[in-house]
Amino acid sequence: MSEPLKTASKLVPAARKEGDALVASISGEIDLNNSPELRTTLLGLLARSPSKKIVLNLAQVPYMDSSAVAVLVELLRKLNGGKIFLTDLQKRVQGLLEVAKLSTIFKIVPTEKEALA
Amino acid sequence: MTPSRTNPKPPPLRLKTLSDPATLAQTRRAIEMFAAQCGFDETARGEIGLVINEALANVIRHAYQGATDQPIELSAQNTDEDICITIRDWGVGINPLELPPKKHDPLKPGGVGLICIRQMMDEVEYRKQPDGMLLTMRRSRLRPKVQGAKEAC
Repeated sequence: MSEPLKTASKLVPAARKEGDALVASISGEIDLNNSPELRTTLLGLLARSPSKKIVLNLAQVPYMDSSAVAVLVELLRKLNGGKIFLTDLQKRVQGLLEVAKLSTIFKIVPTEKEALA
Repeated sequence: MTPSRTNPKPPPLRLKTLSDPATLAQTRRAIEMFAAQCGFDETARGEIGLVINEALANVIRHAYQGATDQPIELSAQNTDEDICITIRDWGVGINPLELPPKKHDPLKPGGVGLICIRQMMDEVEYRKQPDGMLLTMRRSRLRPKVQGAKEAC
């Protein structure tokens, strides 16, 4: 069962609760200029809809920098043992996650559907 | 059409910008376009753009401690061997490469930008100035797939 969640940020144009998972789509280039907005939005969603599993669809994120990575890491730490699935990665984002060795702490899967399976 | 075929030796790029995060995307795109004109492929261009973004973010956060109205000058030059990029700031003059090394823990924030700079460039030098810092970075055209930066030009 899917329950839509409202977000006030264009960076997260869609979010929903799907079973026990919080699912959100992120959109746009994320850098130091807008990563604080992404942080506020994602932490707000988690506070409103507590979950141990978050699925972030990054299909519409052509670029992110280390400040965006820091947001994802903070979100993961808030889960206290939960998991974050990152899906539909574009090439540049995948490259950054590999350099930062984040593929060891996040579950990186090809599609949102596979993350929810 | 690739820029490298039409203009293998573009003139040096010089940019004056401010320590405002809102300028990052524009500067990143300018340096990526210059790298394209120098003949770097898509992957290299993306890495060069990311490194410049991270270096500028370090200047904004650390050298200028979040002030958004301070000057930054960037230059990029094309040579037969590499692209050489400099970033000049007039901030507090801390050399990140001289900070005590710590083991990277993916679960702890911080350090990712410096990792990108070290891994994606071939030479990195922070040269302290009387009134700030001059960062010089080089990315070779003949870069092996896996390589880290030397800490001096």
